[in-house]
Amino acid sequence: MQETKFIGSKEYVASPELMAAVDVARALEKPLLIKGEPGTGKTMLAQAISDAFDMDLYIWNIKSTTKAQDGLYVYDTIQRLYDSQFGAEGVDDIKRYIKLGKLGEAFKSEKQVILLIDEIDKADLEFPNDLLWELDRMEFYIPETKETIKAKTRPIVIITSNAEKELPDAFLRRCIFHYIQFPEKQEMEEIVNVHFENLDENLLKYAMDTFYWIREIKDVRKKPSTSELIDWLHALSIGGIDPETIRKNLPYLGVLIKKDEDLDVIKKRSIY
Amino acid sequence: MFTEFLYVCRNKGLKVSTTEWITFLDALSHDLAHSSLDGLYYLGRMILVKTESDFDKYDTAFLEYFKEINSGNMEVPEIIMKFLEKGEMDTTGLNKEIYQFDVKREMEETKRMFRERVTEQNTEHNGGNYWIGTSGGSAFGHHGRNPGGLRVGGQTGMQSAFQVIGERKYQDFRHDKTLDIRQFQVAFRRLREYSSKLDVAKTELDLDQTIDSTCNNGGYLKLEFDKPRKNSVKLLLLFDCGGTMMPFAEMCNDLFQAVHKANHFKDVKTYYFHNCIYSKVYKDAECDLGDWVDLDYLFRHTDKDYKVIIVGDAQMAPEELFDKNGNYRGPNDGMSGYEWNLLFRSRYKKAIWLNPRYHGKLNSLTWMEAESTLAEIYDMYPLTIDGLKAGIKKLMAPR
Repeated sequence: MQETKFIGSKEYVASPELMAAVDVARALEKPLLIKGEPGTGKTMLAQAISDAFDMDLYIWNIKSTTKAQDGLYVYDTIQRLYDSQFGAEGVDDIKRYIKLGKLGEAFKSEKQVILLIDEIDKADLEFPNDLLWELDRMEFYIPETKETIKAKTRPIVIITSNAEKELPDAFLRRCIFHYIQFPEKQEMEEIVNVHFENLDENLLKYAMDTFYWIREIKDVRKKPSTSELIDWLHALSIGGIDPETIRKNLPYLGVLIKKDEDLDVIKKRSIY
Repeated sequence: MFTEFLYVCRNKGLKVSTTEWITFLDALSHDLAHSSLDGLYYLGRMILVKTESDFDKYDTAFLEYFKEINSGNMEVPEIIMKFLEKGEMDTTGLNKEIYQFDVKREMEETKRMFRERVTEQNTEHNGGNYWIGTSGGSAFGHHGRNPGGLRVGGQTGMQSAFQVIGERKYQDFRHDKTLDIRQFQVAFRRLREYSSKLDVAKTELDLDQTIDSTCNNGGYLKLEFDKPRKNSVKLLLLFDCGGTMMPFAEMCNDLFQAVHKANHFKDVKTYYFHNCIYSKVYKDAECDLGDWVDLDYLFRHTDKDYKVIIVGDAQMAPEELFDKNGNYRGPNDGMSGYEWNLLFRSRYKKAIWLNPRYHGKLNSLTWMEAESTLAEIYDMYPLTIDGLKAGIKKLMAPR
């Protein structure tokens, strides 16, 4: 290993615990499972690691319909059926109809890469279990072509979860776990400073106070997150808002709050 | 010797498996703890604990096992000695951090933690009293995450007055019983029938249709797809385990069994509450203090499509429902039971309440104030086969 430690990157502020978790996951060659509220930078972490270690990043975005098989390879039977009707060339070559998924691509890479399995909890409950063997052994078999795809160098696997579903125990046992806590004010200021060159101190202070005040309100369903705060700060500084009026007027609140009900709740609260 | 830590963890309710333990030891042999107690704490946590809601259990286990290293009256495990030899343990600043942490901590938090310790002591920790004596002496701050604030010694008086910890043990609904639950099961089957009409993408190849279409297409292949027939009903069950529910424990058990044997649901989550839903729900029918999750946590783990079935008799004193401090068995967290129920109800599209003591429309009597109020929030049905059927109909009805 050339670089021994992960210390965050220019655009990414990592807490010491998070850095330690990345190192441990690398050293033990286990997938790193990252959980945390939406908008705490789970997905950005993979990008930051890939920058820090100068490795390619493969992102496998999980959706509710994603199946484990999709990540390995897809055998396009339908295309083959269509092709066979017209006797297209190469129909008898199954390999032409096997397309590797993200996991397959990461395995095939010559160099060590980062594989991000993003939002694994979006998929079906059984999904993580279907990947156990492949992630353990870093290989899989394609029966159609009698081929085994095996990773030359084990990719660093980062898995993120929004905790919408609980993940199966067997899967969890194999992972290194890290929970990204919502940043405290001080840490948040550091994060904000990474994103802004020179933000007016007053603006930041008032905006942050309002932001944390909103997060404290219990009736707010979708609590604003770091990424939304940053967008909001952009809007505030471009709009040239007087910092002292932020709390009272709540300008550009739509950037921070995405639900109508939440907007109502906050407006009602701010009167008092 | 170090293996004992594994059992301390398991005693505290952490389900640490052998695989994880071996991974942990492997990590130690690679010196991934960087020869520091802090490092050890985080290393253990990231490998042995897999959900943030168990962090607190880990903290307790860690403290119990490692607290005495500092005071020097425990044999220090060999493996730890090795770290100590390897490098200086970084303890500077720890005390300062603990101090700040204590000052910052809010009363509620302190109360909560203290209560947890008390329950633990009653149930499984025979040594007892370990924290009260050591108040403030523990130098293990771990950046303030670990309860430096086990020094709650000064607040003992407040605690005992604060609440009644009854050692009432409720029947755990999970024990398998061979009662006739067929009727309930049949009722739950209805939750499946309706669910095949779901709005999902057509992803399954429909062979019959494909053959027909291909024939009609002059022999040229034409593929037809259909919706996969899969139940996507997700259930969230909440059982009242308050004392007044005791006579109905068996019936609740039947219901519970019926749901769990009907394995056609996409997901079933079960939680418990005591009389009324407040900021936390229990993970177990025992309703042990501390063995709970925040409603917030529950909301994050379930989307609005979960069908909610609450089973309870809705019997409680009005102040338990309406008073901001009405929860005599846990925190209120700033809202009355009524408000928590409103919040809870607003999170899900469909929710019903099954009540074994349902009084129907005769709800003008004052002693039934809680019931009638809750019946306004939820659609309430009696806990009978018919009531369940009616309730399920409601759950499956389009908006």
